[in-house]
Amino acid sequence: MSITRRIFFRNSAMAVIGTSLIPRFLTQAAFASDSITSGKKRLVVLFQRGAADGLNIVVPHGEPLYYRMRPTIGIPQPNRGRASAIDLEGYFGLHPAMASFKPLWDSKQLAIVHAAGSPDNTRSHFDAQDYMESGTPGVKSTTDGWLNRAIAAEKVAKESPFRAIALGSSLPRALSGQAPAIAISDINDFRVGGKSSGPAVSSASTSFESMYAESVDSVLHGTGRETFDAVKMLKAADPAKYSPAAGANYPRGRFAGSLRQVAQLLKADLGVEVAFVDIGGWDHHVNEGNTEGQLANLLRDFSQSISSFWTDLGDLGEDTVLVTMSEFGRTARENGSRGTDHGHANVMFVLGGPVKGGKVYGKWPGLDDRHLYEGRDLEVTTDFRSVLGECLTKHLGAQKLQSVFPGFDFSHQDTLRFL
Amino acid sequence: MFFRRKPILTLAVLLAVSLPLTIGFAAVSKHKGAKGAAAQMDERQRASHVLNRFTFGPQPGDLEKVTAMGVDKWFEQQLNPGKIDDSLLESRLQPLRTLKMDAREMVEEFPPNQVIKAIADGKMAMPTDSSKRAIYEARLEAYRDKRDNKAAGNDKAAGTDAPPKDQETASDSPAMREDIRRQRAEARTEAARLAALSPNDKFNAILKMDPESRRVMLRGIRDEDPQQLLNGLSPEQRETLLALVNPTQVVTNELVSSKILRSAYSERQLEEVMTDFWFNHFNVFIGKGPDRYMITSYERDVIRKHALGRFSDLLLATAKSPAMLFYLDNFQSVGPNSQVGSGQRPQIRNPRRMDGMNGGPGIFRRNRRVGRARRPYPNDPNMAGAANAGQKQRPKRGLNENYAREVMELHTLGVDGGYTQRDVTELAKVFTGWTLREPRRGGDYEFNERMHEPGQKNVLGQKIKEDGENEGKKMLEFLARNPATAHFISKKLALRFVSDDPPQSLVDRMAETFLHSKGDIKEVLRTMFRSPEFWIPETYRAKVKTPFEFVVSAVRATGADVTEPAQLGRSLQKMGMPLYGMQPPTGYSSKAEAWVNSSALLNRMNFALSLAGGKMRGVSVNPAKVLQGAQPPQDAAAGIDLLARSLLGGEISKQTRDTVLQQLQDQDRSTTATPQLGTVAGLLLGSPEFQRR
Repeated sequence: MSITRRIFFRNSAMAVIGTSLIPRFLTQAAFASDSITSGKKRLVVLFQRGAADGLNIVVPHGEPLYYRMRPTIGIPQPNRGRASAIDLEGYFGLHPAMASFKPLWDSKQLAIVHAAGSPDNTRSHFDAQDYMESGTPGVKSTTDGWLNRAIAAEKVAKESPFRAIALGSSLPRALSGQAPAIAISDINDFRVGGKSSGPAVSSASTSFESMYAESVDSVLHGTGRETFDAVKMLKAADPAKYSPAAGANYPRGRFAGSLRQVAQLLKADLGVEVAFVDIGGWDHHVNEGNTEGQLANLLRDFSQSISSFWTDLGDLGEDTVLVTMSEFGRTARENGSRGTDHGHANVMFVLGGPVKGGKVYGKWPGLDDRHLYEGRDLEVTTDFRSVLGECLTKHLGAQKLQSVFPGFDFSHQDTLRFL
Repeated sequence: MFFRRKPILTLAVLLAVSLPLTIGFAAVSKHKGAKGAAAQMDERQRASHVLNRFTFGPQPGDLEKVTAMGVDKWFEQQLNPGKIDDSLLESRLQPLRTLKMDAREMVEEFPPNQVIKAIADGKMAMPTDSSKRAIYEARLEAYRDKRDNKAAGNDKAAGTDAPPKDQETASDSPAMREDIRRQRAEARTEAARLAALSPNDKFNAILKMDPESRRVMLRGIRDEDPQQLLNGLSPEQRETLLALVNPTQVVTNELVSSKILRSAYSERQLEEVMTDFWFNHFNVFIGKGPDRYMITSYERDVIRKHALGRFSDLLLATAKSPAMLFYLDNFQSVGPNSQVGSGQRPQIRNPRRMDGMNGGPGIFRRNRRVGRARRPYPNDPNMAGAANAGQKQRPKRGLNENYAREVMELHTLGVDGGYTQRDVTELAKVFTGWTLREPRRGGDYEFNERMHEPGQKNVLGQKIKEDGENEGKKMLEFLARNPATAHFISKKLALRFVSDDPPQSLVDRMAETFLHSKGDIKEVLRTMFRSPEFWIPETYRAKVKTPFEFVVSAVRATGADVTEPAQLGRSLQKMGMPLYGMQPPTGYSSKAEAWVNSSALLNRMNFALSLAGGKMRGVSVNPAKVLQGAQPPQDAAAGIDLLARSLLGGEISKQTRDTVLQQLQDQDRSTTATPQLGTVAGLLLGSPEFQRR
């Protein structure tokens, strides 16, 4: 249902612009080659799927209750070598597996918002992710995602097919909607024929392009068109020639690979304005580990991928903001299997040239019973939408937040001013 | 195509006039969008519709067969799979020996890393059987090499048999690459020499090779065609050779292969479709620890067994299955006030023996010491490092509410089914004690009273008196017959079989049947089949295929012979739908919006070209089958029409037909269409039309 509506909108928009395929592509190619990104702002959105354990990621080591609630999985107080938290400002500390975030913190590019999250009380991964991506907690009927609405609300004269991208084999909920957005799993074989080439491949490509361009199948038509526009631009820009900058030692794995490709697309000047990447595996009900273990391994991958990405971006980082989120946090107390169950508030990271970093933002609610949400979880003191809203308005220059986060009253929120 | 249309239209009009009452015409006209009699599906469309919904797509000849038999009769036949002969499929599955094993046997025959590690550490004995022994020796050798390399800080060097990760770092030096190239060349030469021997000599020669050179050889040909070495070997010999390199992969590959072969070739198509549906509904993830060894039995003895049975039986069977108990962590949920939870030390049985490394029957000797060590998941990548967590003190084990939540949210009531966090916690208490004996050895369900939370529980307004294992059984019965469950399951079935936005009237009717038939799945399907909403034109080809449906339907449409099904498994991974590989318990979506995007479309086009072009390893397309005995076409247009009839049931749009024709004419005006059938078939399988069912 949602997709039909989305395609309907898109097709009507196309009817206005004009249906001729080639001129549209040519304008984009021309656009791509001169001046797309110079001076343009970019937002990279990372989603930690599975509910990351924020209390073990940015550790409230100044809170004695924390250690009582987490006797086996707690991260020891700082200054005990590698097996302890990395102190940030006396009260909070980073998980030791995230050492590569420390320089970003020290150079004041990295800000932290603690006790952030969604006001909805669901502890369902599916619903909570859905709400966080639709941007409308508690409202299931929303058909599109906040990130898509954000770009749809701000029209640009010439829109690159790469304006909104997701790395992965499917388009995430946050990017679904009427504005064109594409999913790419691997930029190196993002074309008909994959890694192979030749006349047969190129004529098959032409055939598929025209089949989908002319198709009356509304669902497939629109996606097909976006796809082929993007394929051509990508070919012209040849992002493969941008290898990682010196010092950007990406770890192995899907997440790092995706960020590396985002960096290539940004460097290739394809007009990327928003990029979405996700990383799963955070649902640690059992044997979460402390300074080492499952969470530590995942955090190492997570933080090293991001810090490598940042190194790789170089000067582009000046105009880039990266923000992270996860559907909800985990129980303040560890559970009976040395893990944690589904909780409420979490931690968000904001990284970027324009960010006023080196500071933990938000009101810390504390872990005593009076302040725990439903007696078990960290309370949400900052709505995730005010963090994202600030990124959109202050960084991307968005004007119409009401359409991005309908029903959310920004005037009643304290702006954190991390930007 | 044109010449066919007229008769079909005439037939449609006739049918519309004569048949409306039999399919509940009055109800149809009430549904919005129904256009009256003229808008009914004709017989051919009806046949195509049932084939597209209740099978993994028509094979050459199916449409005619079902039309001749009549859709009603065909559907009833499919509802009784036990009466359908499936011997051709059985013979294809015959070589996959693990399909008949239980998890325990698989762990013994194809040992996971931590069993190898336990042997290396002297905590377990080697098996005595010679071919098993060869596997264990090869793995031990690899394990020691890896350990030594790690100790030398050389993690990436030779000795790691793990398949290369998808991203290579920039530090792979040219010298190293050169080294690998040379090794591969040598491996190929050696493999060619062995391939020339008789099967038995070949097998024995490989077993006798010293493990190091065997490993180099097997690794060298891994990414190429290993068939030359495997040809002629018995299934057991094949498995043994593959297990020398990677024993767990034998288990995974056979599981993935069986799913693809069954979907593509089983005559009991509805049973396979429903097995796929229920597996996805009660999703478990192959990557979570020992679940890899448990899924074969889960699918065979739990899901397929009850796929067309009673929902409550299915629900109970999943609740007790090792695969689910491990996947959703219930096996280690302990009542806080139970004997185990309150810290009363057991006299004989130790709850941590669930960690699985001590004792137990089979080829391994008992070893108490290991059982007591606080190393719950030795050498399991999923659990790596977690051992440190518990070293300082003995934490009390307690409640884990993962299963309790998901059984309500995803398996029965649905997320809007009206339960609260309190219900989740209380239900978790009900299920305490539903656990596993030795999960790491395959695991069997057991109820452990000493882990069970004593006292009364209150779930969803039900007072559950203390009654051990029966509490959980009662609650599952209660959940299974709840109206919210009836609606939730009916909606999900309708999403799979009808459309992405199924009419509420249909869902309500199915839910009613669900309730009064006490969850008889066949009856619910019958109600759906007999409902007018199922047959309205709006539902015809309304579903976009998932990648799995797309791949299998392409294999079926082309009558392809799949000899290496695992290759198709790899394609699905690329399309974002790895089989058994959905990590979260939600399972895969059956809606279009989840699957229609740029990457997915390109992957489908590329798959289509590669399959039809005969470029896919282990899959061959037989043109004779596609042509269904017709004469090879004389010109391009005839070729396209012929293939459109076999592959798309004749339903090709003018745009697609013109485009393909144009390409053929541009390419070469002089040749006939025959040599280009592969190209045409590839274009048609990648066309918008073939993406729908």
